[in-house]
Amino acid sequence: MLMVAWTVPAMAQDAVTQTFKDSRLVNIQSVETLAKRRLDVRIGHRFGDLLGDNGGWSTFYGLEQAADVMIGAEYGATDKLTVGFFRTKGAGSLPDGQAGLRQVLNGTVKYALLQQGTDGGSPVSLTFWGVAALSTAERIPDNPDIIRNFSTFAHRMAYHGQLMIASRLSDRIALQLTPGYTHRNVVPVEDENGLFSLGVGTRLQISRVFGVIADVTLPFSDYRTTENGFYPALGLGLEIDSGGHLFQLNFTNATGIMETDFIPYTTSNWLDGEFRFGFTISRLFNL
Amino acid sequence: MYKFLFTTFLATAFFWTIQQSSGPGQLLSGEAVADVLLQLGDEPVSHYPDTTLKGVSVEAGQGIMLTGFAPSPGGGKTNKQSKHYVCTACHNIEKEDPDLSVSDPQARLEYARDNDLPFLQGTALYGAVNRTSFYNGDYEQKYGSLVEPARDDLREAIQLCATECSQGRALEPWEMESVLAYLWTIGLKMDDLILSDKEKDQINQALEGKGDAAAAIQLIKSRYLSGSPATFVAPPEDRKAGYKVDTTDVENGRLVYELSCLHCHENERYSFFRLDDSKLTFQHLAKHFPRYTEYSVYQVGRYGTSPVPGSKPYMPNYTLEKLSHQQMEDLRAYIEYRAGYER
Repeated sequence: MLMVAWTVPAMAQDAVTQTFKDSRLVNIQSVETLAKRRLDVRIGHRFGDLLGDNGGWSTFYGLEQAADVMIGAEYGATDKLTVGFFRTKGAGSLPDGQAGLRQVLNGTVKYALLQQGTDGGSPVSLTFWGVAALSTAERIPDNPDIIRNFSTFAHRMAYHGQLMIASRLSDRIALQLTPGYTHRNVVPVEDENGLFSLGVGTRLQISRVFGVIADVTLPFSDYRTTENGFYPALGLGLEIDSGGHLFQLNFTNATGIMETDFIPYTTSNWLDGEFRFGFTISRLFNL
Repeated sequence: MYKFLFTTFLATAFFWTIQQSSGPGQLLSGEAVADVLLQLGDEPVSHYPDTTLKGVSVEAGQGIMLTGFAPSPGGGKTNKQSKHYVCTACHNIEKEDPDLSVSDPQARLEYARDNDLPFLQGTALYGAVNRTSFYNGDYEQKYGSLVEPARDDLREAIQLCATECSQGRALEPWEMESVLAYLWTIGLKMDDLILSDKEKDQINQALEGKGDAAAAIQLIKSRYLSGSPATFVAPPEDRKAGYKVDTTDVENGRLVYELSCLHCHENERYSFFRLDDSKLTFQHLAKHFPRYTEYSVYQVGRYGTSPVPGSKPYMPNYTLEKLSHQQMEDLRAYIEYRAGYER
């Protein structure tokens, strides 16, 4: 026994390799990238409001509605570079009811810049992630919703880039800060094209299989206040790792799944029962 | 005084040189076992590579075996042979047994520790060209009639490994010959065999045409296994109690975990089921060890897992020759120790 106790530190890894179990927490991305030649097929779903005016029994607590649906895949081009392509329904809207982008194609890129070390290395992992979103919704001339008027092709697009700074504090606890910038090519007059935000996420591993995840994203904007009808996107979820499959059950007030959607367009309030059940299924394949 | 010392040094060096050049070890050192057998008049094996095929090379064979890719004869790179594994996922390409004439898992584990090798389910590919029998023993239980053509044919054995064991594509003819060309570079050397000076003399005499060549051939072949034995065993009948062993060695269990389990599961190298050094992982393994689940080490260690549609990667089982009951119990003891369990 004594010999084992002495030898255990020698087998410690040089780098922390699994700060989070998945490439996403509830709403925000995590620092994790895919291994080279690995494909991650993902399906995400956000139902309707669980409670509140639009939830409850009449919608079977939101399960009869689909706020947003994401389907797509990511691929590990190298161990550090992951590229992805997703289609989302799009769900966010402004407080006045004006809808954000719908029927959206999302190209994503993620690059691991720095990996947390175990013994004297970097205390954090650092990863960049970016998405370019393109709405494929039909153009309706004279649409009063300026965001979806699409008078030029560029109006169909929105972008988001973020840096993720994460640390696995112990085998059970991981923490991540996510400063980001979102740009939408067209917004109403009172809104802002560019939007800085900060996301904070955490994972608490309960057992080898079950983990609790949570995140919140705060946009920095004088316009995005609760008085104006905006709320921080706050998510809470349960991760189930069955080895090869990862299931995530979550609750969030965000309706949209992609960052270009939920950061500028979260107008649902947890305290009003405007949060929803959602899930993500991830399946890994070797290519 | 200096002259005396210098003369003594020269004399010592002279006699040492004479002894080295005329000793039996020097004559046989580094020579390929297969070459010596041929010189003694042994019948040549059938798995020499056909190097007349376009694209055949040692480098291509090495590439296929170690990375799954090779430079294609038509330019570019071949498709990866297997999406899931490379040959070294399950096989060493170095000598892994201190005594090649026996299959002793504990001796192999200690040799792996001392030589910085993994401790694997598959038999070392080092010396594969010197064997004449493949997929031996109970492998018929696993692969059925597929083992019949592979039993005495290395090409068929490699193809079976490529398509079934690694769940990949079949090798093209030039790829197969390239793999063989590479395997011939890692054939057994006379140095690898445990031979006394007297036995080396006997072989040298036979090589010089002064001794019994047939006896020398027999002697050489007795010092390595012509096939790797394989005995399939079940998990213990009482999984809570485990296999009956007198005592367990936690340090030995640590070796099995690090040199075997982590070889495939660390950072999901060859498996989506990740293993690491965290207490949560050890608790998970310890909890499932005596159970009838796919997370039970008894279960997957002895039965392996099976490829299923949509999920081809699987885990090969450990035969008794690759993991003894004692080593399995040592592994359990180590996992329970790291999990903080008391049995």
